[in-house]
Amino acid sequence: MRSLWHILRLIWRDRGAAMRRGLALTVVVSLFGIGLLALSGWFIVAAGVAGLAGLGTVFDVFRPSAGVRFLAIARTAARYGERLLTHDATLKALASLRVRLLAGVSAADFAVVSRLRAGATLNRLTADVDALDGLAIRLIFPALAGLIASIATLIGLWYLVAPVVALWAVGVTVLGGVVVLVLAGRAAFIPASRAETRQQALRAGVIAHLRGRAQLVVAGRLLDSRNTLLDQDRAARRDALQQSRVEWRAAAMLQAVAAVALSGTLVLAGQHVLDGRIGPAQAALAVLATLAMAELTAALQRGAAELGRMRDAAGRIVAALETPPTILIAASETAPGLRLCGLSVAPLPGLRPVVANLDLTILPGETVALTGPSGRGKTAVLNTVAGLVPAVSGRVRAGGRVGYLTQRPALIAGTVRDTLKLASPDADDGPMRDVLAACALDLPLDTRLGEGGAGLSGGQSRRLALARTLIRRPDILLLDEPTEGLDAATATAMMHGIREWLPQAAILIAAHRDHDLIPATRIVVL
Amino acid sequence: MAPTNTEIAHRLSALTAPQRRRLNRSAVAAVVAETLWLPQAALLAWGLAGMATGQPLPLRWMGLGVAGLGLARAGLALFGAAQSEAAADAVIGSARLDCLRRADRRAPEASAPSSAATAALIVDKLAMLRPYLLRWHPAQARVAVVPLLILGISFAVSWAAGLILAISGPLIPIFMALIGLAARDASARQMDEIAGLNAMLIDRLAALIDIRLLDARDRMLADFEHRADHLRRRTLEVLRIAFLSSAVLELFAALGVAMMAVFVGFSLLGQLGFGTWGEAITIGEGIFLLLMAPAFFQPLRDMAAAWHDRVAAQSVARDLLADQATGDPQIIGQGGSAPARGGPIAVRGLVLRGRDMPDLDIAPGEAVALTGVSGGGKSSLLLALAGLIPSVGAVRIGGAVLDDKTADAWRAGLALIPQKIHFLDATLRENLAPDASDTEIAAAIQLARASAVVARLPDGLQTRLGEEGAGVSGGEARRLIIARAALRQPAVILADEPTADLDDQTAAAVIEGLLGLHRRGATLIAATHDPRLIAALPRRIEVGP
Repeated sequence: MRSLWHILRLIWRDRGAAMRRGLALTVVVSLFGIGLLALSGWFIVAAGVAGLAGLGTVFDVFRPSAGVRFLAIARTAARYGERLLTHDATLKALASLRVRLLAGVSAADFAVVSRLRAGATLNRLTADVDALDGLAIRLIFPALAGLIASIATLIGLWYLVAPVVALWAVGVTVLGGVVVLVLAGRAAFIPASRAETRQQALRAGVIAHLRGRAQLVVAGRLLDSRNTLLDQDRAARRDALQQSRVEWRAAAMLQAVAAVALSGTLVLAGQHVLDGRIGPAQAALAVLATLAMAELTAALQRGAAELGRMRDAAGRIVAALETPPTILIAASETAPGLRLCGLSVAPLPGLRPVVANLDLTILPGETVALTGPSGRGKTAVLNTVAGLVPAVSGRVRAGGRVGYLTQRPALIAGTVRDTLKLASPDADDGPMRDVLAACALDLPLDTRLGEGGAGLSGGQSRRLALARTLIRRPDILLLDEPTEGLDAATATAMMHGIREWLPQAAILIAAHRDHDLIPATRIVVL
Repeated sequence: MAPTNTEIAHRLSALTAPQRRRLNRSAVAAVVAETLWLPQAALLAWGLAGMATGQPLPLRWMGLGVAGLGLARAGLALFGAAQSEAAADAVIGSARLDCLRRADRRAPEASAPSSAATAALIVDKLAMLRPYLLRWHPAQARVAVVPLLILGISFAVSWAAGLILAISGPLIPIFMALIGLAARDASARQMDEIAGLNAMLIDRLAALIDIRLLDARDRMLADFEHRADHLRRRTLEVLRIAFLSSAVLELFAALGVAMMAVFVGFSLLGQLGFGTWGEAITIGEGIFLLLMAPAFFQPLRDMAAAWHDRVAAQSVARDLLADQATGDPQIIGQGGSAPARGGPIAVRGLVLRGRDMPDLDIAPGEAVALTGVSGGGKSSLLLALAGLIPSVGAVRIGGAVLDDKTADAWRAGLALIPQKIHFLDATLRENLAPDASDTEIAAAIQLARASAVVARLPDGLQTRLGEEGAGVSGGEARRLIIARAALRQPAVILADEPTADLDDQTAAAVIEGLLGLHRRGATLIAATHDPRLIAALPRRIEVGP
């Protein structure tokens, strides 16, 4: 519940003024709705009584009928304004919540990011935020407005009709409504959050199933995996059904409460009329006001059923917002080139160091190849130099901008041009073609790539990722197995192209084979 | 080509057709519940009129009647909702199965819709059929019956009162139709935007490290913020139209009530001499007419409130049609398990992505290197041999064409070592082989020279690796994949650059491992340009120009 308040405060802080106006209009809408029916009922009966008594000509028809017309039109206008205001404010607040979340995730630790399950994070960002759109609109506003309107109706009926009638009409509606909604909220609490969790799990499962389908097909396990998903789907639907059942049961119970309130008001008001304590027109006012009050609680029904889902979503979002972001920046220094002083590195923070006390200086224009068997920490050295993982001990002194081609670079969907623009937004087509040529990649700039760069061969995607790194003209270039997946001729042309493109860069290459293809000035064996 | 409205309507009714009986029962319950308001209102009117004229009244019985009718309405609502709910559940379940079956057999190629978009359709969008069936369907039934009934009764009491309803009523469907048309377009655009936003997000999340290394984080965030804001504006565009439609409706409803109150009031005062069939309106009739006015509009208002659900359902139907229409290539076979069946491989006249592939004959037990320039189609050829992309009968295994009937059995004896490493979201052990014994796994890991890799993982075989094998180096991930291949004890191994990322020592060991499997009788086909591997294999086939 604490997280819900937290989110609510965030929304309120972002859009307080719009929210307050929205709340005020919600109250107006509720009151005018009750007022319209009550006044109409009073008017008809009062007019009827006056007509029977032959007083039709002296009865003031102008004010009540003008009031009826005013309420009818003003209520519609207030309703439109209220909906627009509250929805716009909520959507704005939610949009900024999404951006905050992505900013948080993208600044998280390298270890967190590299283990990140794209499916799960996607769920958190989109579905959890979406789940919260009803918080203000379907829960807080109708609840507050309903409360205020009920108090106003209580006061109105107390003075205009009779205290007992007022207490019955408002009391039964409000108490009955609160009991039903609290019960519904409780009953839906666990199913709602479980339905949400199951649905998210199902979505993540479908994504993993589809992404891994080639592997599943070859293993002959596609059908098994599909059947597992279908079981998950059945469970998710069962929970959704349970949640929705709570909702419509609550709706039926609210209808029953309204029927009891209405019949009681009729009997009580009728008794008062027979006793001569109130006039028949006042009785009509009370009966029709009770009838109109049913709308107050009906508006809250969905919000109450969604409470559990909203609480869970808010909990996850607040947890993500509160994680302190870590951004590591490679230490830089004015002296050009790259110097590693007594550097010890581990693959991930907390693991044992794989390289200890490495001293290395690379001057501008030099190319150093780092070799050694797989698993000796070549990649860990590059990750540390690039600032992705903190050094266990020792220092990295980098003079200038660092560019890093990782072992498994990820491309994004879009054209080749989009890919290069991500790295260098101001680049023109000319330099883009040049950098592709330097990477020995003959690819039109308008070539479309699918999800994760799909559509290119392994060698092509690596070279495109290299081009993306080179276009920023880094002073220090780190390459992890750059010739991987390339035939010898292409690899030689590419290595030559890199040096021509960056004649003054200090280049550090992790390579355990093909180092004969790399024009290294020095070779360091780990 | 966008589907027409008729096609969308057909798709939607085809979806719900198997549940028609339940939906009909729910519609009848909704209509009966609504008509029960008429006697309830008559009781109220009788009571209030009696109070005004001083007639003696059976007040308690009237109170019981009002309450009893109200409870009956609540019960009917409960019954109707249960019927709709069961129908919706069945409809969603079968649609999900249908979609999943289609999506998971798409060939792994660039043109296939993104996994995130398909998952959004299967999980989130299909769930929108629930509110459609639960709210729109009954509302539609009530609109067809209840307003006409009330109109008829009001006419019988007073032609002027009937006229008031008749005038304000029919205008509403016209307004609604106009506004609804606009809302559907707006909503369709919003749905596309949501799918696009999700696809963009998942793509960016997968590339987060690269984005950070390129200092593009702020640009990515700005771009995302821009998109999110765009989505918000689109959503509001949809909502504005929806709000406007319900505002128009509420205005008519409120004016209907107001006009009825004014007409009845003036008639009762004797200031209006028209509107009835002779005798003047009584107080009871007047109150009854007033109570009928909101009830006349209520079904229409409910239908307007459910309009959104209908638009969403139509949009789902449109997406389903689009999903069905994609002529994406399919994998061959079902992807299930089958008794293994092998034989000599023969390829004749295979064309992949517009490139001619060489004709091949590979006998069982051979070891072959597929070589050629990068991007020349070596990987595609391996996919075709595995039946993962269509080969239109150009591939024969043991004389039989590789087709839907033979593919599963062929793959049962096949191991594929792909170029792009992909781990399932499960433990390493489940990734390797869920059913294998510890000794078998240990032997396979030994063969792939991966023992040190597993020993170094925090939870050993129980470690969960990222989808792309985060936590292990490229060479290590590849050796794990080779261990997985070994565990299948395959008759044929298809390997795409199996020695990529490996140093001389490890590469030699892996080549030795692959050859070890080969010596046990497995056919080995490796796409490679690694001279070490090419030298180790007795036969070489050149692929590509």
